Amino acid sequence: MAVDESGLAFEHPLYDLMAKMPGLDVATSTVDKLLNWGARNSLWIFPMATSCCGIEFMAAAASRVDMDRMGTIVRGSPRQSDVMVVAGTITVKMAPRVLRLWDQMPEPKWCIAMGSCAISGDFYRDIYSVIPGIDVCIPVDVYIPGCPPNPEELMGGMLRLQEKVALRRAGLKAPIETRPETGGMIRPRIGRTRDAGRDPAIGAAQAQQAFTLDLTEPPDLVAGFAARAEAAKEAAAEAVAAAKEADAAKGSEA
Amino acid sequence: MSDPALTDPALTAEQRFVSLLRERFGLAVDAEPPPEGFVLAREQHVELARTLKALGYTSYLYVVASHWLATAAKGAVPADPEHYEVATGLRTVGAGTHVARWRVRLEMDQPLDSLVPLFAGADWQEREQYDLLGVVFAGHPDLRRLMMPEEWVGHPLRKDYAIETGHLPWR
Repeated sequence: MAVDESGLAFEHPLYDLMAKMPGLDVATSTVDKLLNWGARNSLWIFPMATSCCGIEFMAAAASRVDMDRMGTIVRGSPRQSDVMVVAGTITVKMAPRVLRLWDQMPEPKWCIAMGSCAISGDFYRDIYSVIPGIDVCIPVDVYIPGCPPNPEELMGGMLRLQEKVALRRAGLKAPIETRPETGGMIRPRIGRTRDAGRDPAIGAAQAQQAFTLDLTEPPDLVAGFAARAEAAKEAAAEAVAAAKEADAAKGSEA
Repeated sequence: MSDPALTDPALTAEQRFVSLLRERFGLAVDAEPPPEGFVLAREQHVELARTLKALGYTSYLYVVASHWLATAAKGAVPADPEHYEVATGLRTVGAGTHVARWRVRLEMDQPLDSLVPLFAGADWQEREQYDLLGVVFAGHPDLRRLMMPEEWVGHPLRKDYAIETGHLPWR
């Protein structure tokens, strides 16, 4: 007779054996630690990449970011995977297929919702064919907001999931993530894309060039860039001189 | 093609196409076609495609249907009932880049003859238009939904499509 995490008693031949043989539980706890370490560091990913988040996911798995060094190898089969990364918009037609693939993954399994579309549907939310977030049909462990999140954020999400896995396997309570709020989303306004320090003549010249499709370079555009480059050089020289003066003043004080 | 105007190398492909429409299909046109093409009668659709295919337009580019709601009479413009417009484009392969475009006007319950017997590539494109707008292509071998789920009700690109339709499992 053994007692599980929730305090309920249950019978299992293996646990009965452990209870009979003194010292065996100490030995198996070491094995448990090894297994936990292995489970945390070999979260194999099943990529459910349907749109642009999938591109960032590929970047995270490719050599520059190299998510593989965390043991998160990407598998093409749900049967060999531990984590499903839902990266992209899930349509009503796709959702039953995603659910089916999720059901084909063996326990224990986790799900990461990557990007605003997988989290809430984002701006496709009100379209007739898009589901409002993958968590309406799959329990999500980690939310990674972004549109799309960059590879580093995905790695951060994988690290959060690793912590979660370690806590759960150690019998502790892992924090439950809630779906990020979408109300406070920053939406770009047209006015904010303008650069205040930019000479308006440059924009006018660019627009003129675009409209006329004149392939020769307009002289005022080139002159504008040259003047800005000169001004930047002067500013940099002044900053260097000021820093030198400050250093000299400090040296004389010392 | 016995008609010399259809093969005259001095004319541009566009001019030859316009003369074909004028002389074979009885359209009272002489100018360049508008970018979306002239409107033909529904019965001339397959005949024009067959003629063009014989003239070298062997590449089936697109079929795009659009749905138009009924409009009331306004000034000199008469009232217009709800209808479809189906635009088709064919292209020559190799020789030049001319695209032959035309449109067909359909009332809501009228089917359009399918071009699948002439162009195998029309199969899925006509299925897509059927799926999203509900245009029925008569003689299509396999007119099923292509993009929406099989059990979907309604055609979402119609102008009168309610945005809440079909959300029930999720909202």
